Amino acid sequence: MSERVVVTGMGAICASGDRPEAIWAEIVGRRSSLGPIRQWETAGLEVPYAGEVAGFDPASLVTERKAHKLLRRGDFLGLYAAGASLRGSCLLEHRAGLARERAAELDERTGVFVASGGVGYQHQHDFLPLLTAAGGDLQRFGRELDGEVSPLWLLQSLPNNVLCHLGIQTGFRGPNACITAHGASGGLAAAEGLAAIRSGEAERAVVVGHDAPIEPQAIRELDDLGLLGRDVLRPFDAWRGGTLLGEGAAALVLESEAIARERGAAVLGELLGSGCAAEAEGLLAVRDDGDGPARAISAALADAELGRDEIGMIVAHGSGTRQGDLSEALALRSVFGDAVPPVTAFKWAFGHTLAAAGALDLVLAILALHAGCAPGIATLRELDADCAGLPASPDTRPACGDCALVLARGFAGLNVALVVQAPGPGF
Amino acid sequence: MTADRPRVAVTGLGLVTPLGHDAPSTWRALLAGRSGVAPITLFDAGGFPVRIAAEVKGFDPRLRIDDRRLLQLAGRAHGFALVAADEALADAGIRPDAASASRWGCVVGSGMLGVEFSGLVDFHSRYAPQGELEPERLFAPQAPRLDPIAFQRSHPSTGLALLLERFGIRGHAASVHTACASGGQAIGMGLELIRRGVCDRVLAGGFDSMVSPVGLGGFCLLGALSPDNRAPERASRPFDRSRNGFVLGEGAGFVVLEEWRAARARRATIYAELAGQGSSLTGYRITDPHPSGDGPIQAMRRALADARAVPGELDYVNAHGTSTPMNDRSECAALHTVLGPEAARVAVSSTKSSMGHLISAAGAVEAALCALAIRDSLLPVNANLAARDPECDLSFVEGEPRPLRVRLALSNSFGFGGSNSCLALRRPEDARP
Repeated sequence: MSERVVVTGMGAICASGDRPEAIWAEIVGRRSSLGPIRQWETAGLEVPYAGEVAGFDPASLVTERKAHKLLRRGDFLGLYAAGASLRGSCLLEHRAGLARERAAELDERTGVFVASGGVGYQHQHDFLPLLTAAGGDLQRFGRELDGEVSPLWLLQSLPNNVLCHLGIQTGFRGPNACITAHGASGGLAAAEGLAAIRSGEAERAVVVGHDAPIEPQAIRELDDLGLLGRDVLRPFDAWRGGTLLGEGAAALVLESEAIARERGAAVLGELLGSGCAAEAEGLLAVRDDGDGPARAISAALADAELGRDEIGMIVAHGSGTRQGDLSEALALRSVFGDAVPPVTAFKWAFGHTLAAAGALDLVLAILALHAGCAPGIATLRELDADCAGLPASPDTRPACGDCALVLARGFAGLNVALVVQAPGPGF
Repeated sequence: MTADRPRVAVTGLGLVTPLGHDAPSTWRALLAGRSGVAPITLFDAGGFPVRIAAEVKGFDPRLRIDDRRLLQLAGRAHGFALVAADEALADAGIRPDAASASRWGCVVGSGMLGVEFSGLVDFHSRYAPQGELEPERLFAPQAPRLDPIAFQRSHPSTGLALLLERFGIRGHAASVHTACASGGQAIGMGLELIRRGVCDRVLAGGFDSMVSPVGLGGFCLLGALSPDNRAPERASRPFDRSRNGFVLGEGAGFVVLEEWRAARARRATIYAELAGQGSSLTGYRITDPHPSGDGPIQAMRRALADARAVPGELDYVNAHGTSTPMNDRSECAALHTVLGPEAARVAVSSTKSSMGHLISAAGAVEAALCALAIRDSLLPVNANLAARDPECDLSFVEGEPRPLRVRLALSNSFGFGGSNSCLALRRPEDARP
């Protein structure tokens, strides 16, 4: 019998707020935080809206000032969310009360699994001034490196920066990974944390997803590919025009149920299972028939040892792209038949946070289970006829059970499904 | 940890390295004592403080991958990955088919730099000629559309996407990045996927190419590279007293991992049992290892415990051995702590002495070399060990490859950022039920 894995702390930040409850309040209040981009100059041109963290302030996000010169925007968000999840779990206070050897053992047995957006365009744009200085002469490029680019450039650009600095800040020494698999990353990081605790490799794990993809080049590239909308993100809507990017982070403290119980931690939810499936059709292709998400969902249900009728609510990926939403609707229908539980999605409120999305949706799914409802998709006006029968609605509906299925999808045809349960009376 | 967890066999290997374009030629060159380090030819590095690297020479992925559309979307490192993965699958004698595709997994350690230098130069000339991005150029309504092929070639998920598409792998898939530990961690995750019953077979490995003006520039700025431009073949000298930095390499390494009984049932040739993996976090400094070896110690101990092995069974360690002053000393301290009195006996070499540091590919390539050492009962040398650092007191394989029947080998990989990976590979006939 493998360990049961519970959630004992959560943190989140995105355009909708800097705490899970604040983000939740925006969603149930039907307020979208997508708006014009402010973090760089758009020169009055028409640029798609995005979900930016309001008043982004590095100093208030990460108090460890020494690390600031090594961190990028997305790293600040990840470390902030991780810190908030740890505070929520009271894990560090618990450690402080332990004898030295026991505290050291806790560190050894605590894993860290991070989902990261990886190296953005802007990291490499740090070389643009040097390219101008070099005037096309590569020898000059080499000679003038020192003056034009920060000596710390490589360290500022590590995709595993949050993992690294979280290790330094907390002293956790357990198994770890940094997943760089685009929109599937957050879901995969949670799946790795779950697996590490079940196998006994770790007793607990901090799972973090973070990304700050609102970069000029990224916006332009994705827009040219036809993946971006303009100002509203309408999942499953007949008139949906594409996704919109958001920045953010979310973190969860996972613990074996036994160890959480032993230290008297408050349990927020239980992670029951995960599944992952690839579609193997290229970087951008999405199968029309929903094969990948359907197999990921089936795998997650089997892993959770749950029947499909035990799922009370679906937190869809719902990124608002034509093909993405349609294939997801077909996948849900193929798994659940005529009995699809209420479907909600959250990206309409704060954008698609890519590597953070799976973790952020998992945190919000737990709050939805606490509230016992699938909040309405406020921007949904007219359900796409091709998604007919999908129980997605602008109105809030009660969940029909205490388990939620969360979907995260990304480039390379990756699909991840997670199953999470509200804490029962036993906790 | 249950007693009846599945065992995992390594049944296929594929390598693209500075020493060869496949595993047999890499292994032969390594045993023959050749060096893959030479002056940089991929671009004019004349103005850089470091002008040497371990390049993959004369590489043409079309010789092995007959899909021009796919290769059009592949950057240099993706070409390495496709070729090495194809070799690993051919070597294993099994490929995903319609019936098995969803039971195959793929985990890759992919490099941190996606955008190719030519793409950056192009972007600069169009949108940032003065050195600062000009949004009015980028978002001008009349600006031409960006090239979707260039976008794909530079996306961080492209390597994984191309591998999945080319080989038809449709189960659990992920790409990971923990700097120099990436390849080792990817194989460790592949092992766990089979143990968990999520996959029957996993294609796992790593690929990287940072031999570009930006990649080389980044490491030059850090001062991490050996500046020995005049003696490239001697520049990477792990554990030598005069070592002064690592040599940047590039390439890919892949293994096919297979549930043991499935491999036996189809009479596959088994190189080794992938018997254990250890993953740990150092939490000390970003680039510097802890002098005591804290972090690597836990990774090695976890790999040994996971393999249900003791140091007395260990015969060979393929060291991380980067040839930086700090790493090598710290790794030796860690090996002494883990091995105790066995440290005097266990053979150690860093193959980075011959082929440089393949960054995200290093852990995967070196695990494959451990499998070959087990198969041939022959240990590759730690080249360039002229005057051993007195602080590095281990049984290094010096001069000539050492004949030795290897029961158990460890492959160490420690990354910037403090992630450590150790893989344990066991001789197949010694594998325990």
